[in-house]
Amino acid sequence: MLKYVAQRLLFSIPVFLGVVTIVFLVVRVIPGDPAVAALGDYASKEAVEALRQRMGLNEPLPIQYVRFLGDLLRGELGSSMITGSSIRDQVAHALPYTLELTVLAILIGTLLGVPIGVYTAIHRNHLADYVGRVISLTGLSVPAFYLGILLILLFAIQLQWLPAVGGGSLDDVKENISHLILPALTLGLVMTASVARLARSAMLNVLRQDYVRTARAKGLKERVVHLRHALRSALIPIVSVTGIWAVSLIGDSVTVEVVFARPGLGKMMVGAILRRDYTALQSIMVIYTGFVVVINLVVDLIYGWVDPRIRR
Amino acid sequence: MRSMLALAVAFVVVWSVLVPAPAHSAGILRIAQNASDVGSLDPHFATTTQDRSLVDMVFNGLIRYKPGDGSVFEPDLATSLPTARMGDGKQVWTFQLRKGVMCHATTGVPSYALTSEDVVYSLQKSADKNRSAYAADYTGMTVEAPDAQTVKIALDKPLSPILFFAKVSNYSGGFIVCKKAAEKLGPDGMKTHPVGTGPFMFKSYSPQERIQLVANPTYFRGKPQLDGVDFRYMPDISSRELALRNAQVDVINGAPDKAWVDKMKGVSGVKVDVFGVGEVAVLHLQTTAPPLDKPEVRKAIAYALERDEFLALVGPGIGENVYSPVPVKFLAGGLTRQELAAKGLDYKTDREKAKKLLADAGYPNGFPLEMVTSEMTGYRVLYESMQAQLAKVGIKANVKVVDHPTMHSMIRKDANPLVIYIAWRPNADIFFTQFLHSDSIVVTGKKPNTNFSHYNKIDGLIEQARNETDQAKQVALWKEAQIKALEDMVVYPIQYQNQVYARSTAVDYGHELISVLALYPGITEKTRLTK
Repeated sequence: MLKYVAQRLLFSIPVFLGVVTIVFLVVRVIPGDPAVAALGDYASKEAVEALRQRMGLNEPLPIQYVRFLGDLLRGELGSSMITGSSIRDQVAHALPYTLELTVLAILIGTLLGVPIGVYTAIHRNHLADYVGRVISLTGLSVPAFYLGILLILLFAIQLQWLPAVGGGSLDDVKENISHLILPALTLGLVMTASVARLARSAMLNVLRQDYVRTARAKGLKERVVHLRHALRSALIPIVSVTGIWAVSLIGDSVTVEVVFARPGLGKMMVGAILRRDYTALQSIMVIYTGFVVVINLVVDLIYGWVDPRIRR
Repeated sequence: MRSMLALAVAFVVVWSVLVPAPAHSAGILRIAQNASDVGSLDPHFATTTQDRSLVDMVFNGLIRYKPGDGSVFEPDLATSLPTARMGDGKQVWTFQLRKGVMCHATTGVPSYALTSEDVVYSLQKSADKNRSAYAADYTGMTVEAPDAQTVKIALDKPLSPILFFAKVSNYSGGFIVCKKAAEKLGPDGMKTHPVGTGPFMFKSYSPQERIQLVANPTYFRGKPQLDGVDFRYMPDISSRELALRNAQVDVINGAPDKAWVDKMKGVSGVKVDVFGVGEVAVLHLQTTAPPLDKPEVRKAIAYALERDEFLALVGPGIGENVYSPVPVKFLAGGLTRQELAAKGLDYKTDREKAKKLLADAGYPNGFPLEMVTSEMTGYRVLYESMQAQLAKVGIKANVKVVDHPTMHSMIRKDANPLVIYIAWRPNADIFFTQFLHSDSIVVTGKKPNTNFSHYNKIDGLIEQARNETDQAKQVALWKEAQIKALEDMVVYPIQYQNQVYARSTAVDYGHELISVLALYPGITEKTRLTK
C-alpha cells in the first residue's frame, strides 16, 4: 500500500510541472496587463511601464519561469502582483473556507444521494421512484447559483433562520457553521441529484445479477440482500463518480462563493484572472492540482477497499 | 432516509431557536461594495471605485470636495483656500496647515502631528511615477515647507483655481499620506494598510472579505458619530441585495438600472439614492483608417444613433443624455443641448440623412466594422445597442465580447474603429488631455493614452485653456475645443450614468447627496446610524 501511494505521488510530479507550465504560459498569452489592471485606465503610460518594471514583467519569459519554479521548490507561493501581500497568507485564509464547503457538500451529496438512489431503485416504478427521479432531474437542471439564491430567500430572508451572506469567523465555530449551511446545502443538493441518479442506475444493474437472486433464494431478508450484497457492488461506480464530483465541486464552489460572498480559493482565482495577478493565479492552480492528485489517490484507495479484487 | 431528513430538519429548527444571531455592534456601518477584493489602499494607487471610497474615509487633502457636493471646494488640512501670486516667474500657492491634525498610529509609528514635511513628502510621492499612478498630473510642480505649518507650491505654468485645487484636493494624487508611516510600511505595506489623518483608521483586512475601520477619536473635525466602518467585498448584486434585505449590511452599491431601483424602493426599511457624479459614456470615432477617415461617414454614424435608445437601457433618472463630452451638469466647460442645437451640433437622429451621407461618401450599402467590447454589462449593452442602431443604416458592426482587462488592452492597441468608453475625469483639462490631445493618441502618440480617435486638431486650444488663469476665458476655450471636436465628429457623447446606492433607513450620511467624486455616498464624521 505504501509503495502504491509513493508511486502515485511520484507520478504526480510531472503532472504538477505540466499544469504550472501551461498556466504560466497561458496567463501571459491572453491580452491584458497586470500593471494596467492594477493602476486602472487613468494611469499614464509611464506609470504603467514603471510598474511593469517593478513587477518583473519586462524580464525574458524563461527567467520569469525559472524564478517561479525556484520559488515553488522552496515552498514560496510569492506575493500578489496587485496588493503585494503574501499569497501563502491569502491561501491560508481562503483554503479552510473552500475545504469545509467542499467536504460538507460531498457529505451531503453522498449521504442524501446514495440512499435516495438506492431507495428509488428498490422501489422501481413505484411512486417513490417517480418522485425521486423528478427531484433528481430538477436538481440537475437548476444551476447552483440560482439554487443558492432560492435558499437564501427562503431560509435567510423569509424565515431568518440563517445568515444570507458571508463566511463567518473561523474562530467562532457556531458563526462559522451558520454561514456554512446554506452554501454547503446548495452544492450538496446539486451533487445529490447526480449521485442519486447514478446510485439508482448502479443499484438496478446489481439487483439483476445472479448472486442477488441466489441471496434471495437462500431466504435472506430483503434488507440484508440490498445492503450487504447489492449495495457493496453498486458502490464501486458511485465511489468513482464521487471522486470526479469532488474535483468538480472545488471548481463549482466559485459560483457559490460569489453568491454567498464567502472567501475561498475559487473566488480568489476568479479575482486573480480578472486582475491578471499572475503570481496568485499560478499559485492557486498549483494548489488545485494538488487537490486533484490527492483526491484521485484517496478515491483509488477507497475503490481498493470497496472492491477487494482491485486490492489484489 | 426519512430519519436522516428528520434529523436535518430538527437540527435547523434547534439551531434557529437556541443559537442567537451573531451580535452586531450598533455603531459600525457595514458597506457592501461591488468588488472581489482590495486593489491598493495607497491613495496614490487607488484607482478603482472600491479603493477610492475606502481611502476617502482614511485620508484628507489640503482641500476637499464638500461632502455630497463635488462642485464646491472647501479647506481640509489647510485653513483656507489660497489665492495664487506670481513669484520668480512661477505661480505660487501658499497653504497654512491646521494645527493639531494627528496622523493615525500604526505598528512602530505612534500617532504624531502632521506637518508640512508630510505634505511635501506626499506631493512629491504623487509626482513620482514609481510611487503614484497619477504622476503625470503633478509635473512642473515644486513643493516646499518654509516652516512646519506652511506649504508653498510653485507651478512652472500657471493654472486656474479649478485645475489647481483639483490636484491638491482629497482625490487621487491629492491625498496626503503620513511620511513616517509610509516609510515604515513601505510601498507594499501601504497597499493593504492605509495610514492617514481621516475620520476613520485602518483596523484589519481579511482578504476577499472585508476591511475594518475604526473611528479616529482625535479627528480634527470632531469624533465620528460612528464607531467604525465594516467595508465588505461582494461582487454579486444579488448577494448585496439579499444582505441588505437581511439586515446584514447597511449600505450597498446598487445596480444602475431603473427596474432594480424601482424594485428596491418597494422594500420596507430601504432607501435608494441616485446621485452624481455620472460616469460619462462617449463614443470615440477613429479618424485615420478608412472608412471613418471621411468626416461624412463619421457624421453619418452620429445621425444614425439615437441617444434615447441608449438611455432606455438604464432608464431615465439613472442616466441622462449628454451632448458634450464634458458633462455640463458636473463640470465647468460643458455645453448644454440648447447651445449645441443652436450650432447644429446636437446631431439629432436622422437615419435618412445618415444613409445619404454614406452614399455621398461612396458607401450606399454601408460597410462592415469589427470591434470588441467588455463583458461588463455597462459596456456590453451600449455596444449591442449601437450595433442594432447602425444596422438600420447598413453599417454591420461585428462585436466580439472579451473580458474587461482584455478590452482595455485591445482598444489601446487600436483594435476598435469605434470605441465606447465610460469614464469620469475630475475636470475638463484631464478629459481633453487624455482623450483628444495628439500626445495621447493610442500606440503612436508621444505619451499614448486614450485618444482613440487619433485626433490632433485642438492641441493648441487644450494647451491654451490649461494655462488660462481667468476662469471665464478658460471655460470659453474648453467649449470652443468641444465644438471643434463635434464639428469634426470625433466624439459622440452618449450619456452619463449616475451612482446608485441603497441603504437601510437607519443610515444618515450627514449630508445631502448631489455629487461625490469618489463614486460612493461619502462617509464622514457626521455619518450616523439612527437605530
